[in-house]
Amino acid sequence: MDYLYDGSFDGLLTSIYYSYYEQRAQGIYPEASYQFNMFTPSTVIQSDPVLAARVYDAIDRKISVYSLMQIYYVYLSNNTAKENLILKYLQLGFQLGPKIDSIHSHPEVLPIRQTAKKVSFEAERFLGLLRFTDTRSYLYSALEPDHNILILLADHFADRLAGERFIIHDKKRSLAIICNKKDWYLSDFSEEAAIPDSETEQLYQELWAKYFTRISIENRKNKKLQSHFIPQRYRHNLVEFRKSELL
Amino acid sequence: MSTLERLAVLADGAKYDVSCASSGVNKQNKGGIGNSKSFGICHTWSADGRCVSLLKLLLTNYCIYNCHYCINRNQNDIPRASFTPREVADLTIQFYRRNYIEGLFLSSGIERSPNHTMERIYQVLDILRHEYHFYGYIHVKVIPGADPALVNKTGLLADRMSINIEQPTEQSLKLLAPQKTLPVLFAPMNQINNQMTQNASERKIFRHVQKFVPAGQSTQMIVGASKDSDLSIIKATETLYNRFQLKRVYYSAYVPVNEGPNLPALSTSPPLLREHRLYQADWLLRFYSFKADEIVNEQSPFLDTDFDPKISWALRNMQLFPLEINQASYEELLRIPGVGVTSAQRIILQRRLGNISYNHLKKMGVVLKRAKYFITCQGCYYGGIPAESALVRQALAPVAKPVQLCLF
Repeated sequence: MDYLYDGSFDGLLTSIYYSYYEQRAQGIYPEASYQFNMFTPSTVIQSDPVLAARVYDAIDRKISVYSLMQIYYVYLSNNTAKENLILKYLQLGFQLGPKIDSIHSHPEVLPIRQTAKKVSFEAERFLGLLRFTDTRSYLYSALEPDHNILILLADHFADRLAGERFIIHDKKRSLAIICNKKDWYLSDFSEEAAIPDSETEQLYQELWAKYFTRISIENRKNKKLQSHFIPQRYRHNLVEFRKSELL
Repeated sequence: MSTLERLAVLADGAKYDVSCASSGVNKQNKGGIGNSKSFGICHTWSADGRCVSLLKLLLTNYCIYNCHYCINRNQNDIPRASFTPREVADLTIQFYRRNYIEGLFLSSGIERSPNHTMERIYQVLDILRHEYHFYGYIHVKVIPGADPALVNKTGLLADRMSINIEQPTEQSLKLLAPQKTLPVLFAPMNQINNQMTQNASERKIFRHVQKFVPAGQSTQMIVGASKDSDLSIIKATETLYNRFQLKRVYYSAYVPVNEGPNLPALSTSPPLLREHRLYQADWLLRFYSFKADEIVNEQSPFLDTDFDPKISWALRNMQLFPLEINQASYEELLRIPGVGVTSAQRIILQRRLGNISYNHLKKMGVVLKRAKYFITCQGCYYGGIPAESALVRQALAPVAKPVQLCLF
C-alpha cells in the first residue's frame, strides 16, 4: 500500500502512524506529484495533528532528539525519495533505539545523515549569504535556496534584527518569513516586491560593493576557490556580485 | 575625499590582516541590534577566495612607524585617509542591518601616539555598544605601547583582541620593524591573558561581572618576509599557545608591497603553499595533540612541500603502524593520515556496537587513499604494498602534472 500525504510534516508523521497501526506502508509520497500505477494500491492520508504528535513524541522518547532533528532536516530537503528514507530510518530506529545515532555507515542511516547535512549546511550558509534591502518601511530579502530552509533561518534573524520589520522571501517556493519587530510567521508569499530604492540604500550598496572589490589581494587571486564557496547560482541575489562589475 | 574613496583607501590598508574569524562567542540580542554565533558566520568570499565575515577597516592609515613590510609605513607615498569613530560605527550598523557583515574588525595606523590611537578605537566601541546597543562581533587590534588601563576598558567592550607579533624571532623583528620589540608586543598579550583568567574566576562568583574579551585573543605572523625557518615559526606558535592561551595564530604569506634591502624582491610571489602547510601544522598542534618537535626538528627545519605534515610525521614513524582500527585509542586514531577528528569520533561510537569493516570506513569519511597504508581492519591490511616508509612515500607522492611538449 502506498500512502499519499499533503506535503506537510504532520501529514508525513500521520502516514507513519497509519503504517504502524493500520496497514504497513510500502512507500509514502506527496499526493501532488504521485504517479499512479496498476500494481500498487494507494490511499490518501488526511493529516491529523493528534496522531502526528504521538509519532513525534514516540521518536523523541524511544529514539532521540537528534534523530528527530535529522528527519526534520531531511523532510525539508529537495530529495525526491525523502519520505521513504525517513520511513526506513524510523523502522530501524524503533528497533534499535538511541543506538541508531552511532551507526553512521549503516545503509539506512547514511543517506539520512548525508541529506540532513546538506540541508543544515545550506541553512548555515544562508545565515551569511542573505542580503537585506532597506525599503524604508521594512527590510526585504530574496533568495532561491536548493532546500526549503526558510524556517531554519527565522529565529536567527528575528533575534538579530529585533525591533525591525523584515521579509525573507523564498522565490522558488513562494514562501516568506514575515517578522513584525518581534514575532515571525511563515506564509505563502508570491508578490514580487517592488522595492523603492532610496538614495541611502543605493549608497550603502555601492559602499559594500566597493569594499568587496578592494578587500581582495591581487597577488593571491583565486577565482576557483571563490566559486567553490559561492556557487554561481546564488550570485544574482548578492549585492556585491551584481554591483562590482560596475565599479 | 568622499566616504566611498576613504572606504577604498582604508580597506586597502587593512586587507593584509588575515584574521577573519567571527567565532568563539554566543551572544543573544538583549534589546538592541545584533547577536553572535560561536560557530562564526562567513558572509561572502572575495576574489582571492578568502572569507569576508567582518568589516575589516583601518581607522586611519597615517602612521608614525616605518615597518619595512607594511603598506602603511610613513615613508610610503600612498593616499592617506581617516574615519571618525562615528563614521565607522554608522557604517558598521548600516552594513550589519543589511546582513553584509557579522561585525567589525578594527585596526589602525598610529597617527600621533599609541594612546591617542587606542583612545579613538575605544570611542568606536563605546558608540557601538552604548549608543546603538550593538551585540554583534567586534575584533580590535591592540596598539602596542598603549596604556594598560585603556586596553582594559576597550577589552570590556570587545569580543576578541589581537596584537600582531609579525615575526617569529627577535632578530627578524629588529631587521624589519626596528621600532617594535618582542617584550613590547608580549606585555599587552600577557595583560589580556591574565585579565581573561581573572575575569573567568570572578564570573564564577559574581554572575554579572562584565565579560573581558570573551572570544579570546589571536595573533598573526608574516611568512616569507624574513629568512626564518618553519621550525622557528612552529616553535614560536607553540610557545604562544602555551604561554598566552591564544585562540588562534594566523600566518600570512608575505605579499611584497615595498622595496627594501632586507625584503624579498617585488616580483616574488607570496609563498602560498608554505602558508598552507603551516596552517596544517597549526591544526596538528591545536586539535591532534602533536608537539612542535614531532612536526619539524633541527635536521629538517622546513615542512615537506610534497606531503602534509601529518603524512610526513607518519612516514618518519612507520614503526608505529599499521594500527588496528577496531582497537586503537582515540589519540592513536587521530594520528593516522586520512583520519580526521570527525571520522575518529564516528569510529569510536560505532565500534561500541560491533566490529568495523573496511567498507564502513569510507562511509565514515576516512580518506582511504591515504589511510590504507597505515591501518589494519579486522586484522587485514589493505595497502597492497609492504608498509615501509620508502614504498609508501612513493605510493603517496603527488603525481607530476603532464606538461604539453613545445618546440618554442
